[in-house]
Amino acid sequence: MLEISFKKTLGHFILEPSFQAKKGVLGILGPSGCGKSMTLKAISGLYSPDLGTITLNGHVLFSSKNKINIPPRLRNIGYLFQNYALFPHLTVHQNIAYGIKDLKADLRNKKAADIICRMQLEGLENHYPHQLSGGQQQRAALARTLIKDPDLLLLDEPFSALDSHVKYLLEKELISIIQKHYNGIVLLVTHNIEEAYRICDHIMVMDEGQIFQIGTKDEIIYTPANLTAARITGCKNFLDATVLETHEDYYILKSHDLLFKAAKTDQPINKQMTAGIRAHHIKISPMHRCLENTFECDIIEKIEGVFSATILVNCCGCPLQVEVSKTSCPHLSEIKYNKIKLHIPPDKIFLINNA
Amino acid sequence: MKAINLFPLYLSFYVAVTASIISLFLGLPIAYLLSKGRSKTTDFIDTLTNLPIVLPPTVLGYYLLVLFGRQSPIGLFLENTFDIMIVFTPTGAVIAATVVSMPYLIKSSKTAFMEINEDYLNAARLLGRSEFSIFCTIVMPISWRGIASGVTMSFVRALGDFGTTLMVSGSIPGKTMTMPIAIYDALQAGNKEMSTLLVLIMTSIAAFVLFTINRLEKRMEKR
Repeated sequence: MLEISFKKTLGHFILEPSFQAKKGVLGILGPSGCGKSMTLKAISGLYSPDLGTITLNGHVLFSSKNKINIPPRLRNIGYLFQNYALFPHLTVHQNIAYGIKDLKADLRNKKAADIICRMQLEGLENHYPHQLSGGQQQRAALARTLIKDPDLLLLDEPFSALDSHVKYLLEKELISIIQKHYNGIVLLVTHNIEEAYRICDHIMVMDEGQIFQIGTKDEIIYTPANLTAARITGCKNFLDATVLETHEDYYILKSHDLLFKAAKTDQPINKQMTAGIRAHHIKISPMHRCLENTFECDIIEKIEGVFSATILVNCCGCPLQVEVSKTSCPHLSEIKYNKIKLHIPPDKIFLINNA
Repeated sequence: MKAINLFPLYLSFYVAVTASIISLFLGLPIAYLLSKGRSKTTDFIDTLTNLPIVLPPTVLGYYLLVLFGRQSPIGLFLENTFDIMIVFTPTGAVIAATVVSMPYLIKSSKTAFMEINEDYLNAARLLGRSEFSIFCTIVMPISWRGIASGVTMSFVRALGDFGTTLMVSGSIPGKTMTMPIAIYDALQAGNKEMSTLLVLIMTSIAAFVLFTINRLEKRMEKR
């Protein structure tokens, strides 16, 4: 188990992460420059916090109180860098064996050969990193790290520099390698909610050095704890709403001229709340049908992507952004009229206490 | 025709090779520290190491005489304890050549060190290697072209030094007369063949070295 609680002043904000991580993949999600990479660097010992403690499986790695600061080379932490940081002047075999030079030569070669086989790098032992494809580089970097049986594996935005096709393949491969060959704690830093959702078991939302929420990935998506967490996880629509009525399992809320229903949860409620609605959760409904929470809206703008479209609408005075898949609404691009009927599922609306 | 005395050529090579070796051992650690440091102290040391490039050779010679002269504490100490004389000796020429040439090595290696992606060093640290081991296995091999280019630069600079060497070690024929000084000396004495030959030797060495550096830098860009 990894336990972290430290403080570090960084330029314009204070990095103050405090969390625990157990076996499995924990995603650290946040915008660029929010301190997530710095958190990994502090855990691995590449930067020292000002105050606090870092404990891994009962071993104290850093403690400002007891003046303990184990150097990175003794922490036995695996780190996968953004561009893999394979040593350009060493071959694949030399790269992989770099961290185990203290072992006897025959054992070293046996271990290297074993992991080269497991990572499907046979035949590439004498190649240099620049001769490898992206996937081979990733496997070589993972092999170099996993050969040391690290107690903790840190992944620092491993896919952010790749184009989307390669990214998807490498992501799939990384997940399967970790599932097959690594049975420990993994922290993954990313600014992409989709990536975090696909890879991680738990997600932690960070901004400006602070942790805003930590929970399972579905908790993060369906019940964001606050506005920042909702925004960072990609929610586009926020309505300032007044709670008009409270029923047994739903509330009636009002925002501008929009009267809508939201499912009740056990969170405490104020008179003034912020209602968050994810752009993907809003559905287009046929003009003639009349469901609850269905509203006629004016289309302001339509932005077409390859397979999905973003529609900006005015919904009874409230601006909303809607994301629809083109395949589910093939007729969408032919819409000539500028009105549309939208259904907002009450159970997909989350309420945030903005006081 | 009088036989041409090639002693200045041998002495110049001895001085330049020794100065380059000293520069390498002193200059590389300094360059590495400077490439890592961002404090005012390192900025100050950086300025100090660049000073010999911009100062007139005579000014450097003056400082070296003040520092190592027979009246100075260091000069006295070296003479009394080790029986080493600096002024008017080949040792003095080596020291002069080291001071004028080391800045080129430091500058070139520092730039090469700074270009190394910090992630390589961090990756090596997390793989359990010590800083010294990382310097030998990662830093040096990755930046060897920059270091080699610096060594060659400082070698030619040491080979060609005139003013500082003249002030510190003088121009005793057969003892401290290096090639640039011999060229001046031959020209003054009206010995045209000698000066022409020495000039041609110096020019070909310089041209060859510059060509080598050029090739190295081209290959560095390719990577």
